Order: sequence, then C-alpha cells, then structure tokens
Amino acid sequence: MLKYWRIWLLIVVVLGAMLAIGFKTYPYGRTGVQIAFVYDSSPARGTLQSGMIITDLNGQQITDVNDWTGKTANLKGPVTLTANGRQYSFNVSDSIGVDVTNIDRTNLDLGLDLKGGTRIVLKPEGNATSETISQIVSILQTRANIYGLKEMKFLSVRDPGGDYYIQVEAAGIGRDIIENLLSRQGKFEAKIVKPVDLENNRGTIRLGGESFGVVADNETITVNNQAIMPNQTFVLKNIDFQYLNRTGSRLIFQATAYKGDDIEIIYTDPQRSAVVPQSNGYLFYFVVLVSQEGASRFSDITTGIPKIFDINSGEEYLDSAIRLFIDDQLVSELRISGSLAGQIYTTPQIQGFRPTFEEAAQEKLSLQTILRSGALPLTLQTASIDIISPTLGSGFITTAVYSAVLAMIVISAMVFIRYRKIRVALPIIFISISEIIIILGIAATNDSLIWASVLVINIFLIALAWWKQKDVDIYVWTGAILIPLLGIMSWTIDLPAIGGVIAAIGTGVNDQIIIADEALQIRERKIYTMKEKIKRAFFIIFGAASTVIAAMVPLMFLGIGLVRGFAITTIVGVLVGVLITRPAYAKIIEATTKE
Amino acid sequence: MDEKEAEAKKPRFEFKNYKILLVIPLIVLLISAGILVNGYMQTGDWFKRSIELKGGTLINIESDKPVDTSALENSLAGKFGLLTVREIRSFSGYGILIEASSEVNANNIIQEVKNFGITVQSFSVQTIGPALGATFWIQAQLGLAVAFIFMGIIVFVIFRTLVPSLAVILAAAFDILFTLAFMQVFDIELSLAGLAALLMLIGYSVDTDILLTTRSLKGTGMVGQRIYGAMKTGLTMTFTAIGALAAMLIFTASPVLTQIASVLLIGLVFDIMNTWITNAALLKWYMERKGIV
Repeated sequence: MLKYWRIWLLIVVVLGAMLAIGFKTYPYGRTGVQIAFVYDSSPARGTLQSGMIITDLNGQQITDVNDWTGKTANLKGPVTLTANGRQYSFNVSDSIGVDVTNIDRTNLDLGLDLKGGTRIVLKPEGNATSETISQIVSILQTRANIYGLKEMKFLSVRDPGGDYYIQVEAAGIGRDIIENLLSRQGKFEAKIVKPVDLENNRGTIRLGGESFGVVADNETITVNNQAIMPNQTFVLKNIDFQYLNRTGSRLIFQATAYKGDDIEIIYTDPQRSAVVPQSNGYLFYFVVLVSQEGASRFSDITTGIPKIFDINSGEEYLDSAIRLFIDDQLVSELRISGSLAGQIYTTPQIQGFRPTFEEAAQEKLSLQTILRSGALPLTLQTASIDIISPTLGSGFITTAVYSAVLAMIVISAMVFIRYRKIRVALPIIFISISEIIIILGIAATNDSLIWASVLVINIFLIALAWWKQKDVDIYVWTGAILIPLLGIMSWTIDLPAIGGVIAAIGTGVNDQIIIADEALQIRERKIYTMKEKIKRAFFIIFGAASTVIAAMVPLMFLGIGLVRGFAITTIVGVLVGVLITRPAYAKIIEATTKE
Repeated sequence: MDEKEAEAKKPRFEFKNYKILLVIPLIVLLISAGILVNGYMQTGDWFKRSIELKGGTLINIESDKPVDTSALENSLAGKFGLLTVREIRSFSGYGILIEASSEVNANNIIQEVKNFGITVQSFSVQTIGPALGATFWIQAQLGLAVAFIFMGIIVFVIFRTLVPSLAVILAAAFDILFTLAFMQVFDIELSLAGLAALLMLIGYSVDTDILLTTRSLKGTGMVGQRIYGAMKTGLTMTFTAIGALAAMLIFTASPVLTQIASVLLIGLVFDIMNTWITNAALLKWYMERKGIV
C-alpha cells in the first residue's frame, strides 16, 4: 500500500480541494439573489443593505438574477419581499432600484468579468507616496461606508514603473455608482450641541461676550425678531445655527464650529499622535491644527454651556457634544472637555479610550479619516473603466465548462489514437481533472492559518526526508514552499485565470505524454530500467516547468494585475503538477506496465 | 504485436537533408519580417494593439440575432466619430464588438445600439485612458523581454552547452516573431491576455525543444532515430494541445479566452516547424561537428 503513497496523496489533496471549493452553508436556502447595490432613488434605500439575500418577491420565489430582472422590470405599487429571512414592504413608484447578483455557489472568489460589476482604476495626479495613497484609500473607504456601499473594494496597486493606482470594484453595475462616490465633495462639518435653558419661555444664547434673547412659543421660537421652526437654520454672529427641538424647558441648538477648510493639519508625529496603554485599556489621541476663525467660533459657541461631572472617568465635560458630519450625514460624536469652554484653541486634541490597542488605533485612524474627508490629498483621474453585466459573465462560465469538456474529449481521443491503450489515456483524463480541482481548491482557500500549517508540515516533511537521506530535488522543496505562499495571496478566478488553468492543464498533458512515452519505449527496455526512464522523463518535465515559471513571473507584475490571475494560476498549476500529479501519473504507469 | 516485429517496422529516419529543410523557416522568417515591416511603414506600429495597450473603449454586446455591422457602424460613426464595429460569432449567440476612443460615453453608444433595433442581452464595457494604455504597452514590451531573458538563463542552466541552448532560444524567438506577424494576417490585435499567451508560448515551445535536445544528446541509437523518436512524442504533445485549444476556440464567447486560444494556436503550429526543423537541424549539425552520430 505504502508503495503507492503518491497516488494516495493525490486522492487526499483532490478531496481536500473539493471540500475547499464546495463546502458552504446556505442560511437562507440555495435559491435567491444577493443584493449588490441599492440606488439612492430606491424605496428600499436605508432598509435593504448590499450583501442581503432576497428569496422571494410578492410571494413568488426568486431563483436567480434573470428571474429577478424579469420580475422587477415593470414592477410598480406595493411590494413585499423577503431578505435575509425577514419581510420588508415598500411602495414602488418608479423602479425598485436594487441591483443583484447570483448567490455564490462556491468559495471561489470569482473575478468581475465572470460575475458582473464595475471596476474603475484611478490614477492620482501629482506626487503620490505610499502614505498619500493609503490616505486616499482610507477616505474613499470611509465614504463608501457612509453611503452604505460596504461591498465596494478598494485596492492600491503600484506598477513596475513606480506609479500608483487605486482600483475600485463594485459588484453592482454602472459607473455612476463609483463616479458618484468620487464626485461627492465629502463636505465636512463639526457641529456643537448647544443647550439653552428657558425660564418662563425666555432664554439667552451666549456667544462669547454677546447674548441673544430667545422667546419660545410652543414649537416655534423667536431669535433676533425671526420666527424659527424646528430643524430650521439661521445665522448668529456669522455662525450657522440649527434649531433642533425643545425638551421640557430646554432648547437644543446645533452650531457649526468647523468646516472642511478649517482643519489645516492633522498631526501624525509621535509627540502629537499616539496610542498609549492605560490601566484597563488604551488611550489614543491626536492634535489638529484648526484655523483662527474656527477656533474663535468654537470658543463663542462653547461659552455658557453647563458642565457635568463624569463619574466613570472622574473628569468634567460640557453638557454637549461635538458631532462630525460628512455630506450632512452624522459619522461620529465626541465629548468636549470642560476646560475648553469659551477658550480659543487652535491646536485642540482629540482623544478617546478603547479596551484594546487594535480598536484604539482603528478608531484613531477612522476619526483622522473623517476629519480629512474635506478633500482628497490629490486629484484622481479615471484611468480605466470596466463594466460587465452579470448575465454576460455567467455565460462565459458556461462556455468555459463546455470547452473544457470538449477539450478533455479531444485530448483523450488523441492520446488513445497514439498509444492505443486505455490504461495510458484514461489516467491522463483523471489527472487533468484532478489538476483543475486542485488549482481551484488552492484559489478557494484564503485562510492564512491553513496555509501556514501546510507550510510547516511541508518543511517538516522535507527536513525528515533530508535527515533520512532520501534525495529531495530542488523542485520538491521549491514547490512545497511556494504553493502555500502563493495560496495565501488572495487571487480571484477571472477569465485570464481560466486561460491559465487551461494552459497549465496543457503543459500537464504534455508532461504525461512524455512520461508515458519514456515508460513505453520498447527499444530501450533492455538498456534502462523503469526508474531511469522515469527519471529522464522528469528531467525534461522539470526543465519545461522552470521555463514556464520563469516566463510567467514578469506577467504577475504587468498591467496593474489585470493578467495576474493567468500568471498565478499557471505557476500554481505547474508546481502542483511537478509536486503531486506527475509523480502520481508516473506511479500509475509504472504499476500498470509490469516488466 | 510482437516487440521485435514493431522494431523492424520502424521506418529508417536518417534526417540527412536537414540543411535544405532549414530553408523553410528562413522563408517564413522573411515573410514575417515583411508583414511586420509593412505594418510599420503603413501605420507606424509593428503590429496592431488592442485598446488595453493603446487606450480606447471596447464595448462587447451579446444579441439574439445577427447584426448588420456596416450599417450599424455608419449609424454610430455619424454620432460618435471614428469607431469600428466587428461581429463575433460563437456557439452561445451573436455578438458585436464596438471600438471607439476613450472619450466617448459608452452608455450613450449602448443606448444608440438599442435604438438601432438590436436587442442588447448583455454587455461589457472596457475603457482604458491613453496614458494608462501607453504605460501598459511599455510594461508589455518589458515583460516580454524579461521573460525571454529568464527563459534563456534557465535553458543555459539546463543544458550547459552553448549551441544546443542557443538553438532552443532561437526556436522560441522564431515562434514569438512568426506568431506576432501572423496575428496581423488574421487581424488579431495584441492585448494583455495575448501577451500572457505569448509568454505561455515560450513555455510550450521550450517544452518540445527540451524533449528533442535531451533525447538527442542522452538517448541511444542513431541521431536520426533519436530525433525521430522525440518527434513522435513531441508531435503527439503539440497536436493534443492544438486539439484542446481548437475546442476552446469553438465554444468560447469571451474575447479574452478567444485571444489566448488563437495566439497559442498560431504559435503551436509554428512551433512544430521551429522544433522539428529549426532546432532539430541546428542540433544535428552541432552533433555531427562534435562527432556524436
């Protein structure tokens, strides 16, 4: 039994790969569609989120994208649908405005060209550094989160010439989604909550040294002889005010202290920006330089706000908060230290406390990003756009499967015609299908823990073999180390990757023909043993494998990764070939060709 | 069949007139050079590049009926300026490819195609700015050069003798050169996927070359017989690959896979010549000079 360990190894790896590709749970059933994007105009905006699974619409089951497109094409009036197992009802006046994709059936990360979607590549103008690029990515990411586009992927790419690009991918269709996101100005505002207490329906808004009388009459209030309704805005001493509401004898206002251009510098040096451990968690802080005008507005607004004592921290705060808005959406809220009231500070410090270091660092970055959102550090130019409709992509998958089946038939026919032996031709088909499964299985496994363990096991096995003085050739150890390393790289199965699978299978079949040929040579049977023949076959195979890998390495870095899928799949395929499948095929041929 | 009988039936293969055979690749070399130079004289480019390598917009539309491409082209050109409309046909349906400048708005073109009375079942749009296209083009040339140099180094490491290594490298260079030239004849524009296929062709090319060289230098029997034996194996390999690629070309509707398959297909056909004539003849000549017969 142990004699055939190479064949057993192949079977084990194939089963593992099948599990990696296909093992999935379906919490909401196998039929349905996944929400890619909810348009601004949609009645479901705000309730439905991208990523949710829609299983039925008006009592009818939804099977796939085509079904959804058909059923929603002329849909008007009241609509009830089930998303993530919950019922939602809307009134559709124009269109439902929800883009969907098919539910993932496998763990494969399918490329945009196969599942449909939009990809835009942006090139920053001017001098980009890795720091500005990560700032831009973080700003765009924050914006995407604010607008509920959680499925949008941002990636910074650096090409061999040293130029930076930012790649944005969204599952939904339409360049307007992404362009909309980029064209948003990211208008930043910091507003301070200002309470005014009433006595006999009269109160005073204190701004620095000045006071403004307020008269309240039920809902409406009067400031400066101007009648103001709740949520209405007005201006006092050049400061934008908004009257929010009245609770009992207290009026709540919101006054704008800073706008985007008031934030002049966000310091990142270690003296002014850090995360430090404290007794039961981590304190983060950073200093911001604000404009003189902003600082004096802050001082004016905070004058006269009562202070409260916080028992938890033992510190004094204003009975207020500073609220951070981006494009009129509330994104964060901070408390104001009591000592700041009425003071002009151009370098206020923002700080917070989180139980773990990671959370503190994350929160610090997120706040810095919000403050920066006023403007991207560099102008972005659209360098390329790809839009693929979901049905086109799924059509490509179908035809790829057809051509693979036909190719298998052609290959087996060719090999059978040449050798007239089923025992030579049949294993080639078996090995080729195994290779496809293994390559896809490696692509489907993205868990770094799994790959780390594979790497450790491989290194252990090589060390063991070396210690036992078995000869381990260079290909075994490079393959055993490179495959886990390539596996960790996230790598999508797109059309070039499918081309790569086919190319790798092609070299695989070629190698197997060489093995079969060497093994079946009649003339040399007396001169060389089977072992020597197989060894000579492997000299050719290893040589060919090295040249394929050498030719593919530059391709990994070209065209900002557009054909990276082809290169990685081919390299992985060739390595899997020399490491697992060719030895197994050689064993099969050895076993079936008894001398 | 008895083994000895099979042995006796093997044709005598001396490979004597190899020097005359070398004329064939040389003629193809001249034709290829002619095609490339002609292209350069007429357009200023050695060969046609897809929008990925020069910038532009490519719209791929799948429809349910055949399309009158020239009428559509005239109609669209009136509104959007210079553009070309091509037909792609596959088992999965009818399709058209529209190529325009990167300045146009693809949504408007698709709308116009619909107005023309064509059912747009599904579509894809690829727009590459001219600057990015130019960058990709430089990278593509560099990538091809680097891959070729890497391949050369590996071949030298494998054989460690000058002439056989040079013969393998020359055969690979011919493969790429001839393929690029005949892509012009078949009106195939080089894209990034095509570049990937060209690099893969290096791998396929060297595959059979290594087989030939190893068997010839390390085998038993007459050199002609060794080459003949290697050729039987090598041709099986190449024809199997050609069959599989043809299957892919018949079925696929994807421009990416079509490009990969057709580039490899052209390359493998030339590889038959360059392995079994160019490389084999140079090798035989080398072995005769060295007295290995």
